[in-house]
Amino acid sequence: MLLRLDPSAEEPLFAQLVAQLRLAIAAGQLRGGERLPAARDLAESLDVNSHTVLRAYQELRDDGLIELRRGRGAVVASGAGRDHRALLKAIDVVVREARALGLSPQATAALLKEAFRT
Amino acid sequence: MNATLTVDQRMRRRRHVTGAVTTVGGLLVLLIAAGITWSWRAQLPDPVASHWGADGQPDGFSSLGGILAVLLGLGGGLVLLFGAATWVLGQTSVTRRIGAAATAWVSLFMAVVVVGSLFVQRGLSDAREAGSVNTVLLVGLLVPIVPAVIAAIVVPGDLRQPTTDPVPADAPRVKLVDGERAVWIRRASTPVGFYLAAPVILVGVALFVWARAWPMLVVDALVIAVLVILTTFVVRVDRAGLTVRSAGGWPRYRVPLDEVVRAGVTQVSPVKDFGGWGWRVGRDGRVGVVLRKGEALLVERTGGRSIVVTVDEPAKGAGLLNTLADRARTGG
Repeated sequence: MLLRLDPSAEEPLFAQLVAQLRLAIAAGQLRGGERLPAARDLAESLDVNSHTVLRAYQELRDDGLIELRRGRGAVVASGAGRDHRALLKAIDVVVREARALGLSPQATAALLKEAFRT
Repeated sequence: MNATLTVDQRMRRRRHVTGAVTTVGGLLVLLIAAGITWSWRAQLPDPVASHWGADGQPDGFSSLGGILAVLLGLGGGLVLLFGAATWVLGQTSVTRRIGAAATAWVSLFMAVVVVGSLFVQRGLSDAREAGSVNTVLLVGLLVPIVPAVIAAIVVPGDLRQPTTDPVPADAPRVKLVDGERAVWIRRASTPVGFYLAAPVILVGVALFVWARAWPMLVVDALVIAVLVILTTFVVRVDRAGLTVRSAGGWPRYRVPLDEVVRAGVTQVSPVKDFGGWGWRVGRDGRVGVVLRKGEALLVERTGGRSIVVTVDEPAKGAGLLNTLADRARTGG
């Protein structure tokens, strides 16, 4: 699993991490029952505070994607690995269309958020 | 005097000295064992018991000379084999440590078993009266582990061999924007080891239950410990370079970014390339973490060293390692 953080982006680091992990789970790179790296290790690799990683893990737990167990660390929830391929394909289409129109990621995301409201 | 030698020369000398010292040490252990038992020849029955059945009673007999010939021939042969491998292939500290540990364990195991099993026969007129040697076998299996681990630790490690040569342009890359941080983590594991070990473990338990051969339980415990150490690894690429760590936390292997010559993808056939599974030493001294056949991450390192890890999606890991190595070299 490849995780990347861009400190120059506006999105906070923990939110970027949440998005990256969500993606890894959606793409099936992380399967149910699989253990996530220890927060301390991940923090060291990405040169961030371990609270940042823990905060990302807590967010994913609140979404039911991972379970935090004492002693075992973070484990991907068994129901988390549902097939997202169709969704990812549709998103590819959205990105392509947005690029063709010259829309920024922020503008596209705003449209997506708006669409959820209806 | 070291000042006049290049790092390459010092590394070559390191593997030659390690190979020579461990070989001499191993042979010395075997010779001392042979000398001690030979000095007992007047007190020993002739022939002596040389093999014990599952019931703990001797069922094979040999002359003292025959036993010593096996001790020196087989033991000496193995010691020379490990020493030669260290001498020729020991570019990487892992190889030298494995060679030193194997030499220490094998020579001491054979010495303890021969000395111990003959010790209990001193003063007997008939070797058939020799009692069980379970304790001797157990001591022989376990006690040499301590000096073997010490030998592995004492062996001098690798000198830092940083390079500023760029990673070849045709090697895979992962695109990162300036300042972007990235990590690639994969678990590599295999159930093969378990399937191979399961019969050994079951036979061990059966022998224990049926024949009270309790050293077999120790063998089982060792097999299980080896399984845990050798069948699950976490492979990580980040700003520290490549880290391959056993699930047990040890052993671990690290390639810093400034020692990466090139990372890529290769195909591995465990038996053909490495003679089996686990932490292996292959042709040219290549270190292998070999858990299955097929695609693997290959990292070529300065000093003619290289490591292969059978992990999924190796192209991504190789790409990130090359990209981070580029970055470390351009100071970006």
